[in-house]
Amino acid sequence: MIRDAIRKPLRAAAVLLAVLGCAPALVHAQGGPIKIGLLPPVTGPLATPGRDMVDGFKLFWEQAGNKAGGRAVEIVLADTTCNPDQALTQARRLALQEKVHFMVGPLCGHEGPAVAQVSKETGVPLVMDAAGADTITKWERTPTVVRTAVSASQIGHPWGEYLYKELGLRNVTFIGQDYTWGHEVTLGAVRTYTELGGKVAKIIWNPIGTRDYGPTIAAIPAGTDGVSAVVVGVDRARLFEAWFNFGMDKKFKIYGGYWMHQDALPQMDDRAIGLIGNSLHYAAGLDTPENRAFTDAFARKYKRLPSWFGESAYTAALWTKTAIDAINGKVEDRAAFLKAMRTVQVKAPRGPVRMDEYDNPVQNVYISRIQKIKHPVLGDVLTNVPVKTYEAVSQFWKWTPEEFLKRGPYKR
Amino acid sequence: MRNALRVPLALAALAVAVLLPVAAGPFWTGLLTQMYVFGLLALSVDLLLGHAGLFSLCHASFFAVSAYTTAILQVRHAVPTALAAPAGLLAGTLLGLVFGFAVRTRGVYFILITIAFGYVVWGVAHRWSSFTGGDNGVTNVPFPDVGAVRVESHTEYYYLVLAVVLLCALGYRLLVASPFGLTLRGIRASETRMRSLGYHSGLHLYAAFVVSAALASLAGVLYVYYNRFVNPVAASFPISVEAALMAIIGGTGTIVGPFIGSMIILWLRNWVSSFFELYASVMGLVFIAAVLWAPQGVVGLVGRLRARLAGAGSG
Amino acid sequence: MTSSAILQAINGTSLAALLFLLASGFTLTFGLMRVVNMAHGAYYLLGGYIGLTIAERTGSFALAIVGGGAAVVALGYLIDRFLIRHTGENHLAQVLLTVGVAFVIGDVSLAIWGGDSLKVPTPVFLRGAMELPGGLVYPRYRFVLILFGVCVGAALWLLYRKTQIGAVVRAGVDDREQVSATGINVDRLFVLVSALASFLAGMAGVVGGAFLTLYPGADWEILVVALVVVIVGGLGSLGGAMLGALIVGLLDAYGRWLLPEFSYFVLFGPMAVLLLVRPRGIFGRES
Repeated sequence: MIRDAIRKPLRAAAVLLAVLGCAPALVHAQGGPIKIGLLPPVTGPLATPGRDMVDGFKLFWEQAGNKAGGRAVEIVLADTTCNPDQALTQARRLALQEKVHFMVGPLCGHEGPAVAQVSKETGVPLVMDAAGADTITKWERTPTVVRTAVSASQIGHPWGEYLYKELGLRNVTFIGQDYTWGHEVTLGAVRTYTELGGKVAKIIWNPIGTRDYGPTIAAIPAGTDGVSAVVVGVDRARLFEAWFNFGMDKKFKIYGGYWMHQDALPQMDDRAIGLIGNSLHYAAGLDTPENRAFTDAFARKYKRLPSWFGESAYTAALWTKTAIDAINGKVEDRAAFLKAMRTVQVKAPRGPVRMDEYDNPVQNVYISRIQKIKHPVLGDVLTNVPVKTYEAVSQFWKWTPEEFLKRGPYKR
Repeated sequence: MRNALRVPLALAALAVAVLLPVAAGPFWTGLLTQMYVFGLLALSVDLLLGHAGLFSLCHASFFAVSAYTTAILQVRHAVPTALAAPAGLLAGTLLGLVFGFAVRTRGVYFILITIAFGYVVWGVAHRWSSFTGGDNGVTNVPFPDVGAVRVESHTEYYYLVLAVVLLCALGYRLLVASPFGLTLRGIRASETRMRSLGYHSGLHLYAAFVVSAALASLAGVLYVYYNRFVNPVAASFPISVEAALMAIIGGTGTIVGPFIGSMIILWLRNWVSSFFELYASVMGLVFIAAVLWAPQGVVGLVGRLRARLAGAGSG
Repeated sequence: MTSSAILQAINGTSLAALLFLLASGFTLTFGLMRVVNMAHGAYYLLGGYIGLTIAERTGSFALAIVGGGAAVVALGYLIDRFLIRHTGENHLAQVLLTVGVAFVIGDVSLAIWGGDSLKVPTPVFLRGAMELPGGLVYPRYRFVLILFGVCVGAALWLLYRKTQIGAVVRAGVDDREQVSATGINVDRLFVLVSALASFLAGMAGVVGGAFLTLYPGADWEILVVALVVVIVGGLGSLGGAMLGALIVGLLDAYGRWLLPEFSYFVLFGPMAVLLLVRPRGIFGRES
């Protein structure tokens, strides 16, 4: 017993040394390739959006010949598995071990603060995509972090106005996903909708991965004149199934604030046609030259249409290349790179984008309807087609940043 | 190994641990800190598992409750480390006093009840978002700063964690070698016999549970200052499972075993997942292999190997 | 209000029917063999996925149910024979081993069927909603599911109470040594019961996958709830599994309707309290 207790640390040391032996050697040459660390969830529950993220990112750099600012570009992948601990360790690996010049990611909302933390402590710039927590570009900003995707409530605000003004609804039941992103999208919509004079019949919160949407649907109060849905992940298909199985399509009208994304549509069917699917900064069916070029290239390569995660990663790549070009490839100058990220203007597939003073894009938000289109590569396919565009939407909507920041975050 | 060699070897191991940050660079220093912290969590699980024979799957709860308490006090109320860290430790231990009633049950019932307890805490962390920050959790936790001890880098924090872990390991050794530790192992071997000998087995197990919860809470405090944020994942079922797995893979009933297990698991997670997509399968196979071929863990395996070598040498 | 209450009651009952399918197998294997098989959730998911593929290839939902169940029986037999058997009665080793098995099954399923949530296609006559007296509308599939659960429950009960095999199993739950003493081949009995449990889990995956969908992680989600059912009812008790499933199903439906913020408490809180009072569940025996 006593012998053991003292002998064992030696073995621990041996293991430590073995661990060290496996550490990849530090290779870092000045003026060599630009190293970009990408932080998608390759495995785990969000592996599917993670795949869109990787594919969209790689598609852009292939098209760009893997070059920016006259230098070769090298992508280092690190799997976050949608776990913040793992995201933190992997981000530290990218920043300290791989010596990447900047990082892009993460995708999962709750990994966002973890990776921002690493950027803060190491000074390695982080281009946040697609994690959407409001607070990252509002109350808890980090000088080395810029966002190229979207803030949660940024898509909620126009949605509330659309419910009231365009759909003419006055007594809405909100179905919201019970976690940060869901709160911010839903409550953003509730705010703009109620400020116009709309009445909230009920807000029904569902945790992520709600097994059964039967109880939710049965709780919709009579007299509701419209239902707004904000659901993510596997819940999207479940709500869809439950809605029609309960015959709700004959009783109520449902509108998707954040629901029928491109990656969820294959699990739905023609009953979706004609429904309002999303209020989002991207719709695959957007008819602009930039988006047609992007979706066609994506569809040819991957045999599917991109979800907003795919477009978001593509645009993050485009945005960073534009910034790198603007500083002639000198990414070692972190301040210059971040300044370029904050000032360049980009014509993305989703439309024109630029950074506001709080490091979040000002961009269009599209209300889209689900339609079946004839795609040149994929044939008949369901997709989101914009029916109303809110142009150049700021994360602060029509309020001043000061007003918004003073009011504090959306919390249920 | 000769007795005379023990002290120099232990000193050499300590020297390696002390010098590692210099040789290994900041990333490995950080990962090693994480390995120590989770090793401590695994050690807390192993007090019940390896000595009392109770398999708890709710230790992530104590870990998370103390981490949340410390983080919330430091970040939202600007409470200094000198108060926030003990408060976290206290909160986790108090929860241990409550969950400790699980020792009314044994065997599989104990396992299942602790799973349920774990889910309650996870549910609170996840859904009581006005207090816990929902799945964003609590971020921007500063480095610890206690009067004279002021940590300003990950390397410094590494040494702090190393010191705390060494102290814990020493205290743990005293505890398991004490009459209390002997009683626990007696209960594991035969509870009825210990009862008939006049021991109050329930009370002993309850005390072990609370001590174990306190140790897990300490790991939680160390964790939150390392990560500098905490979110519901810290309270989740996989953390509890991993902690138990670390103890088993390293070797239950030992002190160094849980730390070896923690190193193996965290290294696998960071290394295998970087090139192999079926990483969860690898973990699963490690579980299966550990149960079938190495129930005593790495420590037991090394012991068996040495016994065989010694046998071959003498024969 | 009343119509909502009635709808929630039916919702809870339909979930209970599904939970019963999964929990009954779990509880029987424990009762007879003292085996805690945490891979039960993975059996559910794998059975569902295989059933999904069968349904897509053949268009037959019945074939999918049988095929999904049968495939899991084969796999379950191998796992039982070559892995679980080695753990003896060490619950700790069983839990760890079967968690490992569940990891592998879940991960391999992810590699084969991908990360999207997939729905097992149902026959046309089961789709859509049906009208109830009083103007209520309810999905036809879930009514059939409740009926199905009742039928399986009745069949299991008859098997358990009225047949010779059932009598032997019951005797085995009470006292295993006694059964081997009567000259019955205990080994064969164990294989039979574990096959039945695997079949129930695989079948549950197919019928559950048709309304809850299948996706990575569904294995653990359903397992945890099934565990609550088993614990509340009492390990090893078939009646307990029935009652437990009903309690958990209704708690879940009413809890989510009336106290949405506290739905985890509503599910796990009463269980924790119950266990402190009655550590072996409602129908559990003291050992």
